[in-house]
Amino acid sequence: MENKIEISGLQVRYGDKTALNRISFDVHKNEILGIIGPAQSGKTTFLKVINRTLEFIPEATVEGTVKLDGVDIDTIDDVYELRRRIGMVLPLPVGLPLSIYDNVAFAPRTAGLRTKSELDEIVERCLQQAALWDEVKDRLDTLGTKLSGGQQQRLTIARALSHQPEILCLDEFSIAIDPVTTMRIEEVLKTLQTEMTILLVTNLVQQAKRLATRTAFFLNGDLIEIDTTDIIFSDNPGSQATYDYVNGTFG
Amino acid sequence: MFTETEIGRQKRRIENVMRIFFLVMTSLMIIPLLLIIGYLLYKALPVLSLEFLFENPKDNMRAGGIWAPFLGTIYLVIVSLLVSAPIGVFAAVYLNEYARESWFTRITNLAVVNLAGVPSIVHALFGVGAFVLFAGLGESILAASLTLAIMTLPVIIASTTEALKAVPMSFREACWNLGATRWQTIRRIVIPNSISGILTGVILQVSRAAGETAPIMFTGAVFYKAIAEGNLFAYNIAEQCMALSLHLFTISTQVPDVTEGIPYGTAVVLVGSVLLVNAAAIVLRIYVRTRKKW
Repeated sequence: MENKIEISGLQVRYGDKTALNRISFDVHKNEILGIIGPAQSGKTTFLKVINRTLEFIPEATVEGTVKLDGVDIDTIDDVYELRRRIGMVLPLPVGLPLSIYDNVAFAPRTAGLRTKSELDEIVERCLQQAALWDEVKDRLDTLGTKLSGGQQQRLTIARALSHQPEILCLDEFSIAIDPVTTMRIEEVLKTLQTEMTILLVTNLVQQAKRLATRTAFFLNGDLIEIDTTDIIFSDNPGSQATYDYVNGTFG
Repeated sequence: MFTETEIGRQKRRIENVMRIFFLVMTSLMIIPLLLIIGYLLYKALPVLSLEFLFENPKDNMRAGGIWAPFLGTIYLVIVSLLVSAPIGVFAAVYLNEYARESWFTRITNLAVVNLAGVPSIVHALFGVGAFVLFAGLGESILAASLTLAIMTLPVIIASTTEALKAVPMSFREACWNLGATRWQTIRRIVIPNSISGILTGVILQVSRAAGETAPIMFTGAVFYKAIAEGNLFAYNIAEQCMALSLHLFTISTQVPDVTEGIPYGTAVVLVGSVLLVNAAAIVLRIYVRTRKKW
């Protein structure tokens, strides 16, 4: 199995508070890796390390290495190119105060793409992938911020796909979406898996069970265990804490 | 079932008393303002005319119009804002969007807040030392405008900061996640959604620059200077000028036997121009509120 991301000895601190405690694991190419764990266990921090947006938090310090396709991400000069290789969907939907079209065309444009026909093509494809196209195709010039919460979240997903990422990170993407839409997006994720590697941070353990190839369990900044989803959700995972968390008897 | 209890009656009484109290306070604020403007207009009516605006003061400022001080004030306001607006706005963008929290930004922000509270006479003394004497500009429109610019700068930085902070942080994070640089984020998202607030802050400084007397008294404003009437380019910024605020002071206190309406007319023009400019800011704000984007 080819490794997409290799994490070794990753430690993140905010001031004197440890958010990630020397974790090491690999993410395989074209897998959906579920990342589960209670709040404050370092899941979101981990995503911020990968696309180096942790650099915007002044008090954060990082040790250890993260390699993307064998390249240490700290040595990448064009951090903007790195961020475009990674699609990021945050828990709360953020429609940028631009039209729906401009929301999706934002990343390709910042990367320098100007050709109208290519932009049109990207906008339509990404909105379709995010299961939003049918609802908005007749009003692409309305503001993205005027959409409903669930629609904005799908717009966010379309935007994250617009720069054709190799890795798609979803941080509790279904918090603001209704169950039906969630299911539609989950179907989309299964098809996207053939094109990209997906990191799925979720509070819904059942979502990880449904989608993930493998699942990692984070707890208080430690990686308790990472294994195939079948084993994590079996009666005999590697750690009792995993079993308790997955079965809801935790804490 | 819905009979009023003693507590309910009491709540209603207090509610009424408080509403009247706040209404009285609001009236105390509005009534003096209306009285001042009404009184000024009443007293100024005999002299107000277009000639009053476009004629130089005559007869040792006992008669004539206010052309020279009016144009002087316009020069001072425009030149000072041409300096303070770009510096203030861009400095605020740096402090908000680029600078990390550090001792440098903390000291700068502290300085901005404190400078905004410095009395204008102190700015005047600084202007005399820095621009008139040290920089060798002499008493001139340029020196006076730079002094006014120093005075308005901190407030412009503060108001621009407010406008920038009104743009949610989540917009910036979303842009960064999409691989946008800070500049791309500022240009496409932050500035378009804060420009109205920024402009409002700048426009409100017009009234301060126009109204202050102390900063210009020793740096570039003179008691009397005749200029070509009706010529908008009658002043040279390396020379001194008259100004409405100083002129009002002069004819009210220093010159005997001034035609009665002239000081009031001068005040009306000063207040009127300021209100006109502020109205522009208000219209801008209303226009933007109707097309708020989130």
